[in-house]
Amino acid sequence: MSIRDLPEASRSLSGKVAIVGLGETDYGDDYRASRAKAEGWERPTPEHLAVTAFERALADSGLRRSDIDGLGVSFLYGGPQPAEAAALLGLTPRYLTQVFGIMAGPLPQACAAIAEGKCDSMAVVYAVATRSIGRKFGGANFDDDSGAPPSYYYYHPWGWSSQAAHWAMTWRFYQQQYGRNDADLGAIAIETRKHAMAHPQAVMQTPITIEDYLGARFVVKPLRLYDLCVVNDGAICFIVTRADRARDLAHTPVALAGWGESIVKADKLDALVRGQLRPHYQEAGRQALTMAGLSLADIQHFETGDMSTVNPINALEGYGFAEPGTAIDLCRAGELSLGGRLPMNMAGGMLSGAYMHGWSHVAELVRQLRHEAGPRQVPDLEVSMFNLAQTDQVHPLIFKRGV
Amino acid sequence: MSEPRPDRTLGPRHDMFWQYCGQGELRVPKCTACGKLVWPVLKACDRCGDENFEWARMSGRGKLVSWCSFVQDYYKATLPVPYDTILVELEEGLLFISIPDGFTEADMSPGMQLELRLRDCHDSAGAFRLPVFVRA
Repeated sequence: MSIRDLPEASRSLSGKVAIVGLGETDYGDDYRASRAKAEGWERPTPEHLAVTAFERALADSGLRRSDIDGLGVSFLYGGPQPAEAAALLGLTPRYLTQVFGIMAGPLPQACAAIAEGKCDSMAVVYAVATRSIGRKFGGANFDDDSGAPPSYYYYHPWGWSSQAAHWAMTWRFYQQQYGRNDADLGAIAIETRKHAMAHPQAVMQTPITIEDYLGARFVVKPLRLYDLCVVNDGAICFIVTRADRARDLAHTPVALAGWGESIVKADKLDALVRGQLRPHYQEAGRQALTMAGLSLADIQHFETGDMSTVNPINALEGYGFAEPGTAIDLCRAGELSLGGRLPMNMAGGMLSGAYMHGWSHVAELVRQLRHEAGPRQVPDLEVSMFNLAQTDQVHPLIFKRGV
Repeated sequence: MSEPRPDRTLGPRHDMFWQYCGQGELRVPKCTACGKLVWPVLKACDRCGDENFEWARMSGRGKLVSWCSFVQDYYKATLPVPYDTILVELEEGLLFISIPDGFTEADMSPGMQLELRLRDCHDSAGAFRLPVFVRA
C-alpha cells in the first residue's frame, strides 16, 4: 500500500476516531518575522516547526506523552525520516509511518490504523518550510518524479507550467461559459481576506478592496496576485484517538465521520478545464456523505482548498452547494460568511490564512466544531466539511462535533 | 530563425512525437487495444492500461477552448514575458496545449477556428519543430 492510498470509505469506520489535540505554529508571526529578518532571526527548519506543533497538540489534548503510541509524519518538502521524527518528539510509538503529505489521506489513514488496532492514540504531524527553502510552483525545474500529473512538466516547450496556469485556464473557460468578469472572481479574494482578519495568526491582515484586487499585478492572466495563495512556513499536529477514549478529555472531540476520493484517470486537462471536475466532486462527495450517514443539507460550515480563488467555485458547484455558474452569487450575497448559509474558509483559507496543503483548514474546522473559534465562530455548529481538490483528484472529509 | 524554448521531455516514446513534428506532422499515440487517443505521451493508455500504441496523424484543425498569459517569469531568461498560451480542441477531440502564432489574447474568443503550423525551435537537446496554431 502506497502512502497515497486511502482506506475505503466505509460506514463501519465512521466516527471511530476523533481529533482530541490540535497544535499549530504561529503562521502570521512567523511570516512577519521571516519578512523582517530582525537580528537573531533564524530560518525555521521542518524539525523545529514539527516539535512546536506537536508539543502544543499534546498539551492541548491533556494526554501524557506515553499515551501517544502511534505517529504519522509528513515532511512534504523534506525532513527527518519517521524514526528520527519519533526520537525528536520524545516518542516510542508502536506504530510509526509516513502519511500522505497533503490533507487528504492522513486522517483516514490514522482512522484505519487505529481501527485495525495498530495504535490507540496517534499524533499526525505535518511540517513545511515552503517559504524558507524558496519552493517554486512552476518552471523548468519543477520536479516530474513526484507523482505530479504530467501537465506539471510536459508542456515546458510551450512555456506552460505551474499550478496557477491550471486554474487560469479553468477560470477563463468558466468565465466565457457563464459570462463572468474579473471583478466577480475578486469577490472570493476579498471575502476570504475579511475572514483572515478575524484570525490573529492568518498571514495576511490588511483589507483589500476591489480596486486593490483589480490593480494588482497579473501572475498568469486572467489570475492576479490576490487570486493565488500565500506561501509560508509552518507545522500542524493533530492527535487522533479511539472514539471511546475521546470522551473524557480536555476538549469536545471532533469525530471523523466520512471521507471520499475521486481521481481523474484519463484526459486530465479536459476533466479540469471543461469538466470543472464536477463528476469527481459528485462521486467523492457521495462517498463521504454516505459514509457519514448525512446529506449535503446537513453541512453547516465548509473549509475548502483555495490554492486559487477558482478552486472554491469549482468545489461549491461540484458538490452541489451551488448550481453551476452561481457560486460567486453565493459569495456576493454573504452566504459564505458568518450569518450565511455556508460559512467558508473562516480562518482565511490558503489565499490569506496559510498555505498548509489543507491541514490548516482542518485545524480551523476543529476549533469551529469545538465552539472555540471566538469572534468568527459559526453558531450552533455540529457538522463541517473539508475539501481538497488538486488538478486531478478530489478529497472531501466530513467531521462532527462530539462522539 | 530558430527560437529557444524550455526543454522537451525526451525518451523513447517522446522522441517519436518530436520526430513526426520534424516531418511536419502532428501525430499522437493511439492505443491499439481500445483506440483511445492519448495525450500527453504516457507509458500506458489512460483508458484501458494497454501499453501498445500506433501514431495517429491529426488533421491539424482545431478550435480554441481556453487561454492564459504568463506574466510571472517561470522560465528565467528562456522566454520573454508576457506570452500567451492556448488550449486547443483538435478536430479528433483531444485537448492540446500550445501557443498562438500571429494573434494574441486580444484576438481570442471561445470556439475560434485554428490551424497547425510547425515552428523551428531549439532547446538544450538540439533543434526541433514546435506545434503552434494560427487562425484558420
